[in-house]
Amino acid sequence: MAKQAGQNKITTSSTAEYFSKNLQQVGFSSQTKATLTTLKEAVDNALDACEEAQILPDLTVFIEKVGPGSLKNSDQIRIRVEDNGPGIDPEDVPKVFGEYLASSKFGRGRCSRGQQGIGISAATTWAQLTSATGVRVITKTKGMRKAISSTVEVDIKNNRGVMKDRESLDWNRPHGTSVEFLVDGRIQLNGEAGLLNYLSGTTLVNPHLTLRYKVPDAEEQVIERVSKEIPMVPEATEPHPHTMKLGEFIAHSHLFGRVKTSAWLKKGFSRVHEGVLNDLVKAGTAKSLLEKSVDQLSETQFKELFAGLQNLKLMAPSTRSVLSIGEDGFAKSIKRLGAVDFFAVVSRKPAICDFKPVQVEVAVARLEQKNVEAESAVQILRFANRVPLQFDKAACAIVHAIESVNWRAYGIAQPKGGIPQGPYIVAVSVVSPFIKFKNASKETIDASDELVEEIRRALIQAGQKLSKHIRREVKANELEEKIRHIEQFCPILVEGLCRLTKASPARKKKAEDGLVKILGRDAHLTKQELDQAHAVLEAQNAEADSMGNTAEQAQLTENA
Amino acid sequence: MSQAKDTEIPKLSRELCNRLLTDLERAKRPVLYATKCSLDNSIYNHKVGFLTPGPKKVATELNVSSVKKMSGAIFMLEILLRNIDSGAVNTKRELYYISKGEIKHNSSLKPLDFGDQEESDEIIDFICEMLECYREELNCYANDRGGQTYSQQLVVTETLPDGDKAVVDLSKLGTTPFQPKNRPQNLKLSARKKIDFCLVVESEGTANTLVANGFTKRHNCILMGAQGVPSNAVRGWCKLIQDQLSVPLYFFGDLDAYTMQNIYRTLKAGSAASLIRNSDYSAPDVKFLGVLPEDIKKYDLNDYPVKENDAQEVRALKKAQDALKNDPFFQDKKNKGLTQILNWLMTNKRRCEQQAYFTVDPRDPTMPEKIIVDKIKNGRYV
Repeated sequence: MAKQAGQNKITTSSTAEYFSKNLQQVGFSSQTKATLTTLKEAVDNALDACEEAQILPDLTVFIEKVGPGSLKNSDQIRIRVEDNGPGIDPEDVPKVFGEYLASSKFGRGRCSRGQQGIGISAATTWAQLTSATGVRVITKTKGMRKAISSTVEVDIKNNRGVMKDRESLDWNRPHGTSVEFLVDGRIQLNGEAGLLNYLSGTTLVNPHLTLRYKVPDAEEQVIERVSKEIPMVPEATEPHPHTMKLGEFIAHSHLFGRVKTSAWLKKGFSRVHEGVLNDLVKAGTAKSLLEKSVDQLSETQFKELFAGLQNLKLMAPSTRSVLSIGEDGFAKSIKRLGAVDFFAVVSRKPAICDFKPVQVEVAVARLEQKNVEAESAVQILRFANRVPLQFDKAACAIVHAIESVNWRAYGIAQPKGGIPQGPYIVAVSVVSPFIKFKNASKETIDASDELVEEIRRALIQAGQKLSKHIRREVKANELEEKIRHIEQFCPILVEGLCRLTKASPARKKKAEDGLVKILGRDAHLTKQELDQAHAVLEAQNAEADSMGNTAEQAQLTENA
Repeated sequence: MSQAKDTEIPKLSRELCNRLLTDLERAKRPVLYATKCSLDNSIYNHKVGFLTPGPKKVATELNVSSVKKMSGAIFMLEILLRNIDSGAVNTKRELYYISKGEIKHNSSLKPLDFGDQEESDEIIDFICEMLECYREELNCYANDRGGQTYSQQLVVTETLPDGDKAVVDLSKLGTTPFQPKNRPQNLKLSARKKIDFCLVVESEGTANTLVANGFTKRHNCILMGAQGVPSNAVRGWCKLIQDQLSVPLYFFGDLDAYTMQNIYRTLKAGSAASLIRNSDYSAPDVKFLGVLPEDIKKYDLNDYPVKENDAQEVRALKKAQDALKNDPFFQDKKNKGLTQILNWLMTNKRRCEQQAYFTVDPRDPTMPEKIIVDKIKNGRYV
């Protein structure tokens, strides 16, 4: 029913107002989640900034309880994240931390961690709402002599960032940024949704990251980088016509001004070339339409053009815009999670799923500490654009794919159709410029059939690689068991036979010697096989170690 | 089992052990041969009347993989021979515990410890296959199940282990049945009056009903309840009746694939799993009285379709298909009538229970008896 004039007045709210009332939509739905999300947003921003400026990231994370919070059953928590990134231009500081949807990345179709420019402003809002103070930011760019320190708050009514207490200070680093939030929340260190899981996951998919962190009730930890290669975030490719809607299609034309429609289509879109335009004409689009200037097209003509393109069979979008962690980096990084017996890493080639480029990478590792209960599920680490996903596991495409694989074929226990069991880590990273998340807080990847199948294939490849290790181990165990058999059963057999036949001690001795001879041949053969199996296993361990050593050496050189 | 056989088993066992020991002394790998007890090694000749073992043997060579099994077999054989020597008998479960006790008192035997009864059962079966004997010959008995027998004419004389004789006159037992033993070879049968036939009823309950309604009073017969798949006791008992009394035997049970293959075929010709003992545990003369497919029409019996979702019924039909192709019993021309019934069951996918005879005249409790006797009199059986 339409509202009548003079009745309730219709008002417009700012984006900041909307989010300040709906923070649960962006990861602040509980006190533990609020702490984790704040940390996550700060770390994501720091890593993105370093990558953008091609700097090897050195991050320091500091989390402490300050006292009781203002919310019921909450603590006041200080979260500080410092990076050695390029720093932020002082003019941009209020925009970055205090304005919603102010981003250098919004809709650019690149594989960066942050996409819309919501997260860090939401964290500032949470701090402001619970502790009545915004985020404390210290930043210094290369060109600045002194660092700028200020508190940024969100002007909720106008969706603007406001800088307070601005001052200059000496900072003993050439460039970088430090952000400090004082928020109400609760600290959960362990478990799937724990802070430590987030930090170890982040180091896993960022082999080039050195992370220092101090969390309550624990010593300061340093996780050194294992790779000096800074990932190059590929430039976005032009949009593909089949991934657009009509409104976007028309809006896209406005970026090009007065150019011929044919030129706009060829320049402004990927996979549209002369041949495609010829096909378009053959399919019934007037050639004159392509000759017209794009700014003179009517809405009907845009519609006709759009429909024509949608009906054509086009090449799938390019996969050049996706970024990969790389098998090498992943392999080195997985050893930072703890003592690993063996592992398998698979980097799939970029593929097209649901018409969007995507790259899936998988690492499966067996942990040395076997004190994990045999029937407990494997540890699953999920990543989307190199950000750990820690909530709503059941609905995630990654978990669906893990459950669809028959892990028993690779020697790993698995209840029917469930998550495999044992002391394993299964890490799956999905990288795409357009990841379909199920919600704004980016907790779960939507489980489309194509994506699940792509992840499944990666997992199967990893499983096959891993099974070689497991089988070899099983074989070695079997061989050892056989040797033990010989030692145990030979005397029992001879004694039994002698008792039943009432044989003399001389016969017994002779039979024993004979049996040792017979089984000795078997034992010798078994021993040879066992030695071979051991040699292969050791060679593989040495190979894995040398990978680690190279990384350690690289670190030593860098430190020197 | 004869006294001669009692001494034969220990002798055979010692010969076997001696051969093994001699091979070992010569550093020659010993090989044990056991009869292959499976359908593909079963031979059926209607003149013999039961399934007999073919030439196939399973060879077990001593090596790292088989040394545990062989040691276990020699260990268990020692226990069994001791039982034969002393006359003690045991069940498989008891033997499992006896082996546990032996190991408890001798730590050097620890590696032989059986994880569960299945393992020790397997070893006992292996010994039987090697010595080509059945477990009763090794004094290892199953519990006496099924075969409850009623008769006004039958007299059973049992020779007890101590040589004493016990005489049981079944007409003196009232409605209490006689329970045949798993070792029926120790029984001697005689008849106070001429016995006309022996009826084996699949359902124990229906057998009881027939007796309660006066079946054995009105007819000079032996009436027995099989209680499903016939146990060794039932099989050996039928064989004994057939051999010692020379009376015609009839089997009365359900019309379905399971009864035909698992119950009736086992009673008549033994089974592939028991190839070694079929000669003592099958009654080739037993006839299939019904329910026959034509009875359904003749007496307007209530039958019903095979349930597609009942795993057991579906499996039985599938097995029937295999039986027609591979079972020498059903392939023999003499058993054409039985094969036709199996074919009928597979084509029509219907079944009819023995109790369906009660629908013919629900107010006459003796109606099933009348039909049975009529069928016997007029030769309407297969």
